[in-house]
Amino acid sequence: MLPELLQGVDTGGLLVIQDSASYSGRHLLQSFINAALNREEAVHVLGFEVSEEELKDGLRGSPVQRLHFHNAYTDPLGWTDHPAFTVHQFCLGELTRLVKQTSHSKPATLVIDSLSWILRHVSTPDVCRTLQQLRKGGAVRSIIGLLHADMHQRGTVGSVCHSATSVITVEPAMRGDEAVAKITKRSKSGKVIQDEEIFRIKDDLTVLVQSKSSKGAKKTDSEEQETDPTANLTFNLRLSDTEREAKQKLALPFVFSKEKKTALLHSGPGSGRIHYEPDANDDYDQEDPDDDLDV
Amino acid sequence: MAAPMSSVGKPSAERSPFNNTSFQKKTRSKLISIPGTRPSVQNGQLLVSTGVTSLDYLLGGGLAVGTVLLIEEDRYDSYSRMILKYFLAEGVVCRHELYVAAAQDNPDDILQELPAPILDDVAMHKPAEQPRLSREPPDGLDAMKIAWRYQNLPKVQTALASSSRFGHYYDVSKTMEPEIRQAAKCHRFYLPEHPTQSSPPHSTMLESYSALLKSLQEVINREGFDVAAPMSNSRNILRIGLHSLGSALWGDDLCCHDNPKNGRALTTFLYGLRALLRSSLSVAVVTLPSHLIQDRALMGSITRLCDNAIALESFKGSERETNPLYKDYHGLIHVRQVPHLNCLASKLPDHKDLAFKLKRKQFSIEGRRGRSTCCRRSSER
Repeated sequence: MLPELLQGVDTGGLLVIQDSASYSGRHLLQSFINAALNREEAVHVLGFEVSEEELKDGLRGSPVQRLHFHNAYTDPLGWTDHPAFTVHQFCLGELTRLVKQTSHSKPATLVIDSLSWILRHVSTPDVCRTLQQLRKGGAVRSIIGLLHADMHQRGTVGSVCHSATSVITVEPAMRGDEAVAKITKRSKSGKVIQDEEIFRIKDDLTVLVQSKSSKGAKKTDSEEQETDPTANLTFNLRLSDTEREAKQKLALPFVFSKEKKTALLHSGPGSGRIHYEPDANDDYDQEDPDDDLDV
Repeated sequence: MAAPMSSVGKPSAERSPFNNTSFQKKTRSKLISIPGTRPSVQNGQLLVSTGVTSLDYLLGGGLAVGTVLLIEEDRYDSYSRMILKYFLAEGVVCRHELYVAAAQDNPDDILQELPAPILDDVAMHKPAEQPRLSREPPDGLDAMKIAWRYQNLPKVQTALASSSRFGHYYDVSKTMEPEIRQAAKCHRFYLPEHPTQSSPPHSTMLESYSALLKSLQEVINREGFDVAAPMSNSRNILRIGLHSLGSALWGDDLCCHDNPKNGRALTTFLYGLRALLRSSLSVAVVTLPSHLIQDRALMGSITRLCDNAIALESFKGSERETNPLYKDYHGLIHVRQVPHLNCLASKLPDHKDLAFKLKRKQFSIEGRRGRSTCCRRSSER
């Protein structure tokens, strides 16, 4: 599931990486940036928490010429005369202008590092609205945001994740360099897919999925148990050709010749016939009896 | 009062002067008939179907005209959205007018996803066309080997004509054909298309909610859904679907904080909505992401302001998903409130322990403990 998401978030998608103090999601975020750069997409980073040097240092080896860093690290609140990007510029118009400044044919990926910073200075409904407008706006292909879940009230985290298409929650795993990712993905049809994976991020920022965690393992167990019920029977279920022939020879009671059947079915005048008119009070089962069959 | 039948119908004051007795024969002809509605057997309220037959049964036959049904969304809003779509699709089939308001998705997107109705009209005419005494059955007499006595019987017409029936079934794997959908008159309210100014600081009402209420009022007045409006020959029902009300996208911080600043905005809106509905031929379904609302007391007052309230709890993502006890179901449904209309006590459902399952052709709600299906009894009326 994690590799699929790294392949590219759906158009108009919003991916939220939720982390906490016990495990930072920034490495995973960098993997996402790296994957997008390798696909030759333009990436715009709103950097509140990490400076440009630090980010590019982390992305060593990636083609960084398509990476556009909007510096909100040095002056996030606009206290000096020439702030590059402030938190108050987080609105549809400003962001569209920023993204459109650089000329690329393809719509870009917007990376927000981090949403927590914005949520501390802009009201949650406004943040949610801006994210929603960006998704529908068309200037940005997809949005990836980092959210420190333990910094906010539960409702705030819930509201942001409610409007996201995919949520990855990262937690530390048993072993030092590994982490657990709980992934929830909503497809456009409203279907929800959930998965839990243990992963490790290698030095070149590629993500290595070690194993599915216990939940996934349980599922495979139940699949194995589904064996053919007709395998070990004490009786014979199948007929050989000679047996079938013998069976068809047998004359069953109340099975008549064609002539007799016709006579019985089309009885002459004077016999009764059932006429039925449906009524609103009929107890008729609309349910398809074969609804649950795997056919 | 939720638009009782007598006030909707023709004035019954035309008593003949020589009629001394106060007793009057109860006649149905005085009641107006709107397709897709029927009077309740319990209190004579005019009911419409929610589009989910078993939910109709649970709510005492259907939704009374003039009332609000609150659906507390499941975590990922998959099943609550489905019920909203059933409700709207039922309106399309019954040729009611629709009003869809949303902040997240464009109402057009919701309308495009409406499930396809299973209409039996097409299948009904076929057996009648065939001559019953055909000497030469198409497939010969051997078409039925054992139950051959049945083979010349005409196919039983089990379904009534779709327009006269109350509540329909839908196939969720298909979407409704555009021709059917476009035949229904639909009003849309998409919040981002309604530029709102920031509300004045001391107002309890949010700008987005008052814009919605104004738009609703305008539609009700203009299209003649008002009960007080001059009587025209053809009256219709307005079905109002409000999606994910109270979410952050409506500009409401109800879901975002433990102590929301405009916590009274939604309750104020619901008062206004109820006042509008009570005096009009309309019925509303409101979905609400209640799992995000931390303040339970506020949630309680929101529930009180709606007439019907149900909550959906999907098993998706909870440990109940793998619990063998729940393996047959997709989630639980809790009835929070049933309406008290013109009476002191209302009929509560027989079961408190209810679960739902979304099948391809049916959304069924079943009592879980006894496994006695209450959806089956829904057809008994």
